[in-house]
Amino acid sequence: MSASTHSPVLKHHFEDLHQQHASERLGMWMFLATEVLFFAGLFAAYTIYRMLYPAEFEFASSKLLWSIAAINTLLLVSSSFTMTMAIRSAQLGDKKALARRLLITAALGSGFMGLKAFEYATDFHEKLVPGELFQSELVSADLELNGMTAEQAAAYKFDDAKHEHWAQELAKHNFGKGPGDEGFISPERVQLFLMFYYVMTGIHGVHLVVGIGCVLWLVVETYRDKIPPENYSTVEMVSLYWHLVDAIWLFLMPLLYLAGAGMHH
Amino acid sequence: MSDPHHAPADPHGVIHDVDKPATLLGVFATVLLVSAVSIGMSVGVPGLGKMALPLQMTFSTIQAVVVLYFFMHLKKADRVVLLSAAASLFWMGILFVLFLSDYLTRAKYTY
Repeated sequence: MSASTHSPVLKHHFEDLHQQHASERLGMWMFLATEVLFFAGLFAAYTIYRMLYPAEFEFASSKLLWSIAAINTLLLVSSSFTMTMAIRSAQLGDKKALARRLLITAALGSGFMGLKAFEYATDFHEKLVPGELFQSELVSADLELNGMTAEQAAAYKFDDAKHEHWAQELAKHNFGKGPGDEGFISPERVQLFLMFYYVMTGIHGVHLVVGIGCVLWLVVETYRDKIPPENYSTVEMVSLYWHLVDAIWLFLMPLLYLAGAGMHH
Repeated sequence: MSDPHHAPADPHGVIHDVDKPATLLGVFATVLLVSAVSIGMSVGVPGLGKMALPLQMTFSTIQAVVVLYFFMHLKKADRVVLLSAAASLFWMGILFVLFLSDYLTRAKYTY
């Protein structure tokens, strides 16, 4: 029998801590496998529709705030770094550094969610929301161009716009064209992209909120002296989940925010 | 007691392979750098056209591999953990191959 059989951290149904840690890792990885498949379904659906409607996806993506997504990437990757450093602190028995690094991780994750909330609010303000808001915005831009010739519409400057609003740009682009015509950007499919944007970032956001909750729970456990060095695997389990959520963002970010980056030129 | 630089006595024999901060910092910098390249390329380089998506996905895959290997400790994982990680990718592969084999073989014209 090894010395690891005598730890108070050892659960009664394991022979030793090695076995306990190995079981924890395997269980967490099996859970992560289900998470990968869950997101894979979303990525699969996205792939089909982007393949079918590339112009609409590019147009809609170009209206999203890629600069905020870039800052959020910085925050999330930084949080993965501090999370891994927290495992190190747990292993070294450095309780203060452990709590500090966990709190920084939670703060970076919260910063991500804060910026995400700001971004959603901006999108809402811009009426970049599928349904009634989107449609009424587009209809009013269409009405303003009503009765013009193609040349007049192309040269038309909308009064209130410093920068052309997405609805005005779309109305001008589609002027004189209809479904099936070359170059027509279907408003329905632009809204379809927006649905993907809200669903994918929303589900990712929910995962991040759960992760922040788990990290804060670890902080409490640290102060309760429940994470001695031999129990570092508790921190490691949360970190595995955290990194997966980070890795998923690394794919979501270019798919949603950079699909239409070429249209900024 | 708590010493940030040296591993404590390990009476239970379960603490080994403590990550080096320099390694973690290197991984962190690499992932950020690849993100910067991906974003910079997408926003700053005109005319990428159809090459943009494959390039972006290549960069994302590089980042994910680095995160999985170093941050998620696949480099020191048991075989069953490696098998679980590989299985999830394999299952995802089945999903993509099957739906793409439908969509990619649909005729773009009508007879």
